[in-house]
Amino acid sequence: MRLEKCWFCSSTVYPGHGIQFVRNDAKIFRFCRSKCHKNFKMKRNPRKVKWTKAYRRLHGKDMTQDSTFEFERKRNRPERYDRNLAENTLKAIKKIDKVRSNREAKHIEKRMKVKKSKERREAAKELEQSIHLVKPPSVLAQDPSLTLPKIKVKVSQQQTEENHAMEE
Amino acid sequence: MVQYNFKKITVVPSGKDFIDIILSRTQRQTPTVVHKGYAISRLRQFYMRKVKYTQQNFHEKLSTIIEEFPRLDDIHPFYGDLLHVLYNKDHYKLALGQVNTARNLISKISKDYVKLLKYGDSLYRCKSLKVAALGRMCTVIKRIGPSLAYLEQIRQHMARLPSIDPNTRTILICGYPNVGKSSFINKITRADVDVQPYAFTTKSLFVGHTDYKYLRYQVIDTPGILDRPFEDRNIIEMCSITALAHLRAAVLFFLDISGSCGYSIAQQAALFHSIKSLFMNKPLIIVCNKTDLQPLEGISEEDMKLIMEMKAEAVKTVIGQGGEPTNDEGVLLTMSTLTEEGVIAVKNAACERLLDQRVELKMKSKKINDCLNRFHVAIPKPRDQKERPPCIPQAVLEAKAKQAAEKEKRKTEKDLEDENGGAGVYSASLRKHYILANEEWKEDVLPEILDGHNIYDFIDPDILQKLEELEREEGARLEDEENEDFEMDGEELTPKEQAALAEIRKKKSLLIQEHRMKKSTAESRSIVPRKFDKDRKFTTERMGRQLSALGLDPSLAINRARSRSLSRRGRKRERSLDRGDNDAGDAMDMDVDQQNKKLRMRSRSRSRSKSRPPSEVAPGEGFKDSAQKVKALKLAKKSVKKRNKDARRGEADRVIPTLKPKHLFSGKRSIGKTQRR
Repeated sequence: MRLEKCWFCSSTVYPGHGIQFVRNDAKIFRFCRSKCHKNFKMKRNPRKVKWTKAYRRLHGKDMTQDSTFEFERKRNRPERYDRNLAENTLKAIKKIDKVRSNREAKHIEKRMKVKKSKERREAAKELEQSIHLVKPPSVLAQDPSLTLPKIKVKVSQQQTEENHAMEE
Repeated sequence: MVQYNFKKITVVPSGKDFIDIILSRTQRQTPTVVHKGYAISRLRQFYMRKVKYTQQNFHEKLSTIIEEFPRLDDIHPFYGDLLHVLYNKDHYKLALGQVNTARNLISKISKDYVKLLKYGDSLYRCKSLKVAALGRMCTVIKRIGPSLAYLEQIRQHMARLPSIDPNTRTILICGYPNVGKSSFINKITRADVDVQPYAFTTKSLFVGHTDYKYLRYQVIDTPGILDRPFEDRNIIEMCSITALAHLRAAVLFFLDISGSCGYSIAQQAALFHSIKSLFMNKPLIIVCNKTDLQPLEGISEEDMKLIMEMKAEAVKTVIGQGGEPTNDEGVLLTMSTLTEEGVIAVKNAACERLLDQRVELKMKSKKINDCLNRFHVAIPKPRDQKERPPCIPQAVLEAKAKQAAEKEKRKTEKDLEDENGGAGVYSASLRKHYILANEEWKEDVLPEILDGHNIYDFIDPDILQKLEELEREEGARLEDEENEDFEMDGEELTPKEQAALAEIRKKKSLLIQEHRMKKSTAESRSIVPRKFDKDRKFTTERMGRQLSALGLDPSLAINRARSRSLSRRGRKRERSLDRGDNDAGDAMDMDVDQQNKKLRMRSRSRSRSKSRPPSEVAPGEGFKDSAQKVKALKLAKKSVKKRNKDARRGEADRVIPTLKPKHLFSGKRSIGKTQRR
């Protein structure tokens, strides 16, 4: 029993799920569900369909090259059974999994970070360019005859009490 | 040897069917359409073709009939005689002769009529000639109708004749009716002949096949023969007589010694003597049947004597073939088909006798030398008397012995299974013979799937090493990340700046929304100049509010705007100015009066009750004089007019009227008169 990868979206196909299609040249296409199967029948290229792993890897959204991928490789030569080896393998799988998921998360975070700095720069630029929509031009603002006087508003009693408390 | 196969003769159609077939074929396969306007040669050709085609078809079909029916003189005399017996040679020949004449007649008819058609001068004449020709041919066929029916009957009967090869090894069975001939043939061959208590159950010849010494023998069952003069015999008996006469076969003459067939031994003996001439040169065996009812020893003296006479005759035939006169064992045999004793002996004897006779004949013929080579078996001449048995090496013998011993000793898995409760209870441990580092691991079950991974993909002898490396890498990477985290770009906006940015964005989005609304309604909204704004968007109050939102004092701007407004343009002087300023001088009296009048007309209250005429030019509008303004208004109106984008004909498109439409000025009426249009 093996877990296979769906040809279209690259998710795992568990036993009892999905469809296998064998072409005349003996190439086997496995699909995890009818969504992938139907997309395949429509001759869609998974590299162009946004939600597939193939697209994400191709466009750099997910991690592509990593040493953790080297651990999981289809081996055609069976190894002679060794209990210790089996134990170690089982433990190792868990660790490798954790490492890999951490690295993937980091990859995505790095990708997202770039946007923040870009956003900030853009905000600064917009502020500079369109400030005239909310503030009068600085020349006129400085002329006291043209500006409106500032209105002073009386503050209520409670707030002064609080200030006292803060000072102490 | 040619197998006569009368099954392949084509069906002979009846007269009427024949005519129908040929005529319909002529109609289908020749062109059918002809008009009287065609050239005469074409018409002639058309009808000649039909006549010739019909004649050819008749000729073809009649020829096949004549050829497929066998000619009685050309086939084996056995068949010739058989067919004569069954169908009467003369009638048969006559029928075929009639068919032949019909064929010739039809050819003649066709020739004559084709000659006449060559000189046909009209469609009608040619057609009549063709009709006549075809009619005559059909009459000919109608006349031979009865012959065709007779031939069809013969054909059907012939197809059911048994396929007897006259040249191969044959055994003939004859005797009185009901003596047990058919039962015998049923016993020795796979033939399934009717066996019934009444006489003449078998009405025709039946063939079965049997084997003896790797050779195939034909066994022919005949209908019973009665003791009658030759001329009185009926057709059925004649069949058997014919078979006896023409086939070179071993003859088994059946005798019913119990008399249960209804005829005494004397009668049967009489029959034997009357047809013994037919047994010339044929190995003859007398078979006494039904011994279960009456054993041979138990019969009376006279009958015994008769039988001995018959035996003597039979022995003569043996002598005639050059056999030993003292060997009379194979001549008189007893058997019982009911109890099946002696049946095989009879068959064997008959086959043996026949084979001997045929071999004798062949030996005497010239062709024997060709066959003789095939019979020689070469045996090397023995050099000395030493015995030379086959040689088996000792090792092989020992191995064989050991194997035999081993087979008993080894315990197989199957034995183990049986011991432990059988197939359903015990399941063999397939891992018993695994070669592993530690014996305890043999029955270990390793899972195949863990957390969405195949475990077999991860198994690697160096996995520990690799895992260590990975962990080191990971540690290093985490450290690097922590160092990186401290480098934050300090480009954060202050809260005041953020508020300003938010306001900017809000204003921008409002502007965009407004623009979008304007754009979507642009087609249906009329473009009105700003001074006619009905929503009151361009008022000084609004401007003032917006400016104060920015923090500027709007009063100056408002005053400036108001002084420049369009409604003020026409007024050179203010109302208040007029009232107060009369010191200008009396010289201006006329002016004042006039101006007063104008003012009266143009005062605020007036402007409400009387609207401005359209041709009047206000100073701020940009027109030279009212004529220009009128023209401009006209142009504006024209521009609003919808363009004829449908490419429909407009008033400007030149019209070419149809002054005399054809459908009104010409044409016949289907009903009625056209006296007036």
